[in-house]
Amino acid sequence: MNHEILKTSEIRFLLGEQEVNIDFSVSNYKPTTTLLQYLRSLPDRKSVKEGCAEGDCGACTVVFAEIKGNALKYKAVNSCIVFLASVHGKQILTVEDLGKGKHLHPIQEAMVEEDAGQCGFCTPGFTMSIFGLYKNNNEPEKSDIETALSGNLCRCTGYRPILDAAERACIYKGMDKFTGKEHQIFQQLTEIKSNKEILFLKTEQNQYYLPFSLSDLLHLKKENPHALLAGGTSDIALRVTKKKENLPLIIDISQLDELKTISKNDNIMFFGAGCSLEDVRIACEKEFPSLFSILSVFGSLPVRNNATISGNIGSASPISDTLPVLMALDASLEIQNIHGKREQKIEDFIVGYRKTTLSSDEIITRIKIPFQDKNNILKSYKVSKRRDLDISTVNAGFMLNINNRGLVESIKLVYGGMAAFTKRATQTEKSLLNKEWCRENVENALKNIQNDFSPISDARAGAEARQLLAENLLLKFWNETRI
Amino acid sequence: MKIFHESAAYHVSGKAVYIDDIQVSDQILNGYLYTSPYAHAKILKFDLSEARKTNGVSAILSYRDLPGENQMGPIVHDEPVLAEKSVEFIGQAIFLIAAQTEEAALEAKKKISIEFEELPAVTTLKQGIEQNSFLQAQRKIEIGNTEKALKETKNTLSGEIEIGGQEHWYLETQVCLCVPGEGMEMKAYASTQNPAETQAIIAEVLGVSKHQIEVETRRLGGAFGGKETQGNHVAAWAAVLANHTKRPVKVRLQRDEDQKITGKRHPFLIKYTAGYNDEGLIEAVDLELFANAGYATDLTMAVLERAMMHAENAYFIPNMRIIGKPVKTNLPSNTAFRGFGGPQGMIGIETIIDIVARKLQKDSAEIRFKNLYGIHDKNITPYGQKVENNRLFMLYEQLVKSSEYQMRRKDVERYNAQNEFSKRGLAMTPVKFGISFTTAFLNQAGALVNLYTDGSVLLNHGGVEMGQGLHTKMQQIAALEFGIDIDLVKVNATNTSKVPNTSPTAASSGTDLNGMAVKIAVDKLKARLAKVAVKKLAELQQGLNFVEEDIVFEKNAVFSSKYSDLKIGFQQIVNAAWLERESLSATGFYSTPGVHFDRTEGKGQPFFYFAFGMAVTEVEIDVLTGQHHVLRADILHDAGESLNRSIDIGQVEGAYVQGLGWVTSEEMKYDTKGNLLNHSPDTYKIPGVRDIPQIFNVKLLEGAPNPTTIRKSKAVGEPPFMLAISAYMALRDAVSAVGNHKLEPDLQLPATNEWIVLACRKLRNMLMC
Repeated sequence: MNHEILKTSEIRFLLGEQEVNIDFSVSNYKPTTTLLQYLRSLPDRKSVKEGCAEGDCGACTVVFAEIKGNALKYKAVNSCIVFLASVHGKQILTVEDLGKGKHLHPIQEAMVEEDAGQCGFCTPGFTMSIFGLYKNNNEPEKSDIETALSGNLCRCTGYRPILDAAERACIYKGMDKFTGKEHQIFQQLTEIKSNKEILFLKTEQNQYYLPFSLSDLLHLKKENPHALLAGGTSDIALRVTKKKENLPLIIDISQLDELKTISKNDNIMFFGAGCSLEDVRIACEKEFPSLFSILSVFGSLPVRNNATISGNIGSASPISDTLPVLMALDASLEIQNIHGKREQKIEDFIVGYRKTTLSSDEIITRIKIPFQDKNNILKSYKVSKRRDLDISTVNAGFMLNINNRGLVESIKLVYGGMAAFTKRATQTEKSLLNKEWCRENVENALKNIQNDFSPISDARAGAEARQLLAENLLLKFWNETRI
Repeated sequence: MKIFHESAAYHVSGKAVYIDDIQVSDQILNGYLYTSPYAHAKILKFDLSEARKTNGVSAILSYRDLPGENQMGPIVHDEPVLAEKSVEFIGQAIFLIAAQTEEAALEAKKKISIEFEELPAVTTLKQGIEQNSFLQAQRKIEIGNTEKALKETKNTLSGEIEIGGQEHWYLETQVCLCVPGEGMEMKAYASTQNPAETQAIIAEVLGVSKHQIEVETRRLGGAFGGKETQGNHVAAWAAVLANHTKRPVKVRLQRDEDQKITGKRHPFLIKYTAGYNDEGLIEAVDLELFANAGYATDLTMAVLERAMMHAENAYFIPNMRIIGKPVKTNLPSNTAFRGFGGPQGMIGIETIIDIVARKLQKDSAEIRFKNLYGIHDKNITPYGQKVENNRLFMLYEQLVKSSEYQMRRKDVERYNAQNEFSKRGLAMTPVKFGISFTTAFLNQAGALVNLYTDGSVLLNHGGVEMGQGLHTKMQQIAALEFGIDIDLVKVNATNTSKVPNTSPTAASSGTDLNGMAVKIAVDKLKARLAKVAVKKLAELQQGLNFVEEDIVFEKNAVFSSKYSDLKIGFQQIVNAAWLERESLSATGFYSTPGVHFDRTEGKGQPFFYFAFGMAVTEVEIDVLTGQHHVLRADILHDAGESLNRSIDIGQVEGAYVQGLGWVTSEEMKYDTKGNLLNHSPDTYKIPGVRDIPQIFNVKLLEGAPNPTTIRKSKAVGEPPFMLAISAYMALRDAVSAVGNHKLEPDLQLPATNEWIVLACRKLRNMLMC
């Protein structure tokens, strides 16, 4: 394969029931035009609103129907942080698609009857989030509804009527005008996705690759070492929408189904690098409740639906919510380039502020989490101003092992938000080793946290509060694990 | 029958048109701002010549290119459209760019050359106070003899409390589309709460008469006060660019830009001294209210005045002195926000009562109850208005029962005794909110009602629909008064050429004022139709005596109450009136009677009536993380005879949750240079779906008609916002539990998890000492 001679090509997707082809070489759109910008440029998709252009308000929520295994799966996403090029092979649905002639969809009817909209600006986004729930969860509990709406902000209603509308609509158990057409949509999307040749999207300013196999991806990365990797784009899209950057060279891994598998053996659970955070969350509930609980307050459902686990790890953010608990779990990464594989503990992989050991030709392919010794106690914590859709002020992943003499055999105290990157409180850990797990010892150990970290003040919190929170989380951990 | 929001079906199907959704010709240009990077600086020189050559850029304008006045201050003319010699806040507009694309505008911005000389800036309220940076002279309201009473009272306390600002976070950012017409005409599609003022500002800025300017407002994607005056800014900018390029121009602020450059709820500092007896009766209160105005006047004086008029909230205080001082700072000019100073004003007295309760080791609800305004006596406010139709006792009695307050107080105490790292708090707070613009002349409204020969009704009025359901209520009023189906009434987009010289839709007054105007217009039309009805009924049944006074409009028909079997359909009567050459169009005009206020004396009758409400909120805090949950909120609110229960409940719930944001999570942080640090929802946190009370009981007070208003209803937009003060007081109660209620919690507002955890530590450390 010689990528020099790749022909430019086009993407194909369904907008409602209509197939759309976009050839970027002749279009006004760029591959990095956001889906929101694209939809709003059309005369009949004005329901999709821009509220923030960063995935924090949900006014732009649309639903993707896509092939997953042998079924069509629906998921709500924030169209403002999705690149147009990445919708290849998907069906996009907005509120304009829900009704049938003059008749409203049961969700729309419920929204009207509960007075769930006031100014109405957020209403289409909420309606689509509920639609995502409606098609996925036939008998949602209150917490499922809240989870489904965790990515939508409303400034008028105080949410109660929206929750009621969601509950009321879901009595129809997902049946609607889409139910009968799913087979046909599945066929259409299958046909689109049958092409496995790399899509090369080119404009004057942009080159955007969509490979379909790992070997193609590795070759592309080798030939384009400076290319940005795009997965769920929830992070890099902000460089377009907020920093107004042009991203000239991107390799998009979102079409690689082989990176989306989840499996396990007796000792280890494997998560493909392209797994969405929501897929990981659902899969890890039983095996790794500490990871599950932190993922449950990670961003919002629409963000988790698209953002990938490897993206969160690879961006090496100091306030990544997954890193502390993954480190506490002793997770490692499988990394590949065209020459082969290597493996590295996540703890060793992160080396600085948004710095990792990944070289420019490498790709993270899998995350490996070992099943824990039955004596290991694991907890994760997130302190943020708001419960959902917020970034941590301080977060933590803790692992404790108490031996049969009642002493601390091993302990890992991993913190985010306390330094330039996710880090263990090594001195504090040391001061607890071989000690009794009692309040006095823990309170004494707390004093070491100031030696482990010197946090900063920023828009989220002051240094003083961060220091205190780091200490308090350890005390909280003790309180929840006291013997 | 439940009447839904008139736009609900459009909202849910994406058919509701907001300004950014309007289909325009491909001639449209987008307007962009070049703004100040400094909080205070001189502009030494600038050169736009290179930038103007940028491809895709049609115009770059400075103040020199303005055709009319360089002024967009709504009351005091202290806000330039574009900065001239100096800039006074970060984000102040200096140049305007009209471009085909954002990329072109960004390219042009890079080529603009400008030199500043940075000057010392006042970036916090405290700095402003220290430097005597005041916008205007102080205001005073006093009743009794505060100094004397403070000397004679048994117990005194004093302190100060800082109250943070609040970003409106309307979902639809500021936006205006201007389309030039022939000659000097300009049509503005503006997201404004005040189309008439937007029209006036555009006229001034373009240097033309108001009759050249037409402002139309279909609906706002949220406003909350943020578009009472500040929607004018984008309108002025779009108009100038459209006028210059002779092409349609849209200015739409992006979220971060909107958060950075527009005004917010005024932060306040309140200094207080209070005297009270051993029973907890407050005998004297001395208050100084400092409002952070930002760089210009905007609505600050009215906001400050309302804060002063709500500084006693629902309590009779025989001796009270309230001083209000507007502090000028180098920040965007702060502006109206639901409650309009009322919330900040109330925090002072509610904090005082909270402290008194702790000092006397009594339940704060008991102290609050003791100090409530009386029915027959103890009912004169510090500004001299009598509190009439007092609903406070009705509310208290019903809410104490329905919220199971006494039992839950005990439960909370038990819970706190059993848990070291988790504490609960409970608080009940009242609201008494004055209804009317305190600037008396604003209390006026107009309507224009057109009947068409098919019996359909087109309703125009001066109010703006921003989600509050005003159009629905106006539609209901017209339908009820005409006795016809609601579907026969359509409410038009608000338009300055239909109803001129209107007041802003603000001060919760929309329904009271416009509803009366609609009724008056409908009454005029009904009188004309009745005249025709008498004639037509007589033709139908000769020999009977029909008089206009007996004519009834009901169930889409017209008949005489004396002979109700004989009916003429509404459509027939309208058509008959047309054939009889009766005018089928009428205006209505209403002005609130009797309101006045003397600012120098600090006395008057500023309010037509008061709206009341009460809330009980229970919270739980995690002492170690500062994170909290609202476990339960019980609200009983007085909306008079509600015009639309579902809409009114929606206002109460929405206002409470918005208030919850103000008291808990919505914090503005600035660096020392005056840069707003949290200028996007990434770091600025309004409540989300999981932040609302886990149990949320909201009821409207029954059996309390408002005697003097449209259909005996009450204004409901702002008052319930302040019910969320109960959540702040409950958080104080929970934190206070860490010190066993012996120590005063040091909790600022908003009580974010950061401040809660720090306050808890302070108390834990004090306990250990």
